[in-house]
Amino acid sequence: MKSLIKEFSKGITVLNPTFGLILGLCPTLAVSTSLFNAVGMGVAATFVLVFSNLIISALRNFIPARIRLPSYIVIIATFVTVCELGIKAYLPGLSKSLGIFIPLIVVNCIIMARAEAFASRNRILPSIFDGLGMGVGFTLGIAIIAFIRELLGSGSIAGIGLLKSNEFILVMILAPGALLTMGLLIALSRLMGLTKR
Amino acid sequence: MKETLRFGFILGIICIVAAGLLAGVDILTKPKIIAQEKLEEGISLKAIFPSAHHFDEVRDGREVIYYKALDNDGKFIGVAFKASGKGYAGEIKTLVGMLSEGRITAIKIMSQNETPGLGSRIADTNFTARFKEKSDLSGVEAITGATISSRAVIDSVKKKAEEIRLRVKNER
Amino acid sequence: MRDNLLVSTSPHLHKKESVKMIMWLVTLSLVPSGLAGIFIFGLGALWVMALAVAAAVITEFALQAVTRRKITVLDGSAVLTGLLLAYNLPADVPFWLPVVGAVFSIAIGKQVFGGLGQNIFNPALVGRVFLMASWPKYMTTFVKPMSYDAVTSATPLAALTEGKALENISYLDLFLGNRPGCIGEVCILALLIGAAFLLLRKYISWHIPFSYIFTTGLLSYVFGAKTLFAGDWISHILSGGLVLGAFFMATDYVTSPLTYKGQLVFGIGCGLITVVIRLWGGYPEGVSYAILIMNAATPMIDRYTRPRIYGS
Repeated sequence: MKSLIKEFSKGITVLNPTFGLILGLCPTLAVSTSLFNAVGMGVAATFVLVFSNLIISALRNFIPARIRLPSYIVIIATFVTVCELGIKAYLPGLSKSLGIFIPLIVVNCIIMARAEAFASRNRILPSIFDGLGMGVGFTLGIAIIAFIRELLGSGSIAGIGLLKSNEFILVMILAPGALLTMGLLIALSRLMGLTKR
Repeated sequence: MKETLRFGFILGIICIVAAGLLAGVDILTKPKIIAQEKLEEGISLKAIFPSAHHFDEVRDGREVIYYKALDNDGKFIGVAFKASGKGYAGEIKTLVGMLSEGRITAIKIMSQNETPGLGSRIADTNFTARFKEKSDLSGVEAITGATISSRAVIDSVKKKAEEIRLRVKNER
Repeated sequence: MRDNLLVSTSPHLHKKESVKMIMWLVTLSLVPSGLAGIFIFGLGALWVMALAVAAAVITEFALQAVTRRKITVLDGSAVLTGLLLAYNLPADVPFWLPVVGAVFSIAIGKQVFGGLGQNIFNPALVGRVFLMASWPKYMTTFVKPMSYDAVTSATPLAALTEGKALENISYLDLFLGNRPGCIGEVCILALLIGAAFLLLRKYISWHIPFSYIFTTGLLSYVFGAKTLFAGDWISHILSGGLVLGAFFMATDYVTSPLTYKGQLVFGIGCGLITVVIRLWGGYPEGVSYAILIMNAATPMIDRYTRPRIYGS
């Protein structure tokens, strides 16, 4: 049990995909304009991570090493498509605001990295916990960035406006704001010793 | 040779299972997705053409060219159509309602990717209201500081409106 | 700065002047333009300058105190950054705008990289571009010159971009600064007085400013009108922030190339980007972006223009 908790918690702290591993930047930068979008993206990616880790770990003795990459891609793409269709059918609002970034989870390197580095070498249960931890860590990372950007850039939290004004820092919801926030947060997390240099 | 066959076989199995799973999910979600799209389309059409009772699609092949707006008695009162133009950052798609004599009822920006806070103001009612009740769109004023985005909407709507007017005229 | 001096190219002559003295002399050379700005746009301009300089100095002091580094506020570089930022702002901006810009310039543009000599980009321009992206409305609303009552007006460059001929503004007006624009960029005469001082005392070399202005003039002459070779190149040189940028910001020691050859490449690059943005870009003015982009290219320019070590 203790080791399972360790597999789970490492994705949130030391190996945090956003601030520690610095992986999966495309959705992190693109979707973190609002907290709602960020959490939606995080949950979708977590879903894909957990299931792809589960299946890849279960099939690790069945898939020969030489064709592992195409196999992983097929498995990951399948879950991404399931996720995409589900969101389209039941959460049309989210599907509209996330747009192309849901199908792009396929190429999110966190998922491929965990499949290659962890799930293909570990048993099913630890792999699920690893995927869950990485997913939660990713969700937290993107949500923190989105919280800051949305608050400063459009003066709202999860779409709820706090002030009736237009004097917000517009650059924060543009691309440079994403890079600025992300850079400063990485520096902060290293300064606090949460992630390694 | 034997190796290659074995690899192909394994990859094949994975693909077949994946395809099966996806087919299942597709069957489950398809009706829901189509219903959602219809619902959204209905809401948007209603928003730009409140006086119409229902809309008929006019197709050319599989593509919807425009919608006929019909009143309670099924009488033709106008059209609704989509216009798209190149803005500052990609395509801007606009849904337009037009009465049969050529006046615009209302427009709605369906999708845009303009700079937030600047070009994105084209989606505000403040701007879209400028099209209401206009037949000649040359008089529509652009937003200060967002000229490129505004012009993209105005020009694309204007061009498409003329095209549709001609089309409707020829068909009647 | 110290690091830069260590890797400078030959000849390694020693001059008595310190970084501190150069910073203060550059600041001094900017005074005529500031006075002209106050004269043209009223006391609002003075407020913007005072707020930007004060905010820059306080931010530098606070950050150095918090991170327990040597406090170097008196070296004048923060004052210069604040002043240059103010020169790039319209005169009637809200009071918090220069403050926010100056804090950003110093904190993100300079101290994050490790302070003076370590920054990749010109801090004042980093601040300006941040303000431009965040509050474009305030940054593009200009006061009419000599009216002192906040009547707003479009800049000559905006008119040039839209392909209109300049009406009511003569070359002399442009040269003296009788036009809407940013505080420190309008009076070309005052800027040239300061620039002449820096050039004569050899604090800056002619390479960057002249190649920059020449390239901008040439390209706007060739492409600035509907037909080739008919552009209003004099207006393009005299309006916008070109003269201020070319003499006082592109020449920043830290962020521009070390060798004369590199500086020529730098200036030509700046001119090219400026004209592209002015004529075909989304903004009417491109000087700040041009200099920032070339700042990013500086390490590479330095690498390819470094003189060969004798015997290697």
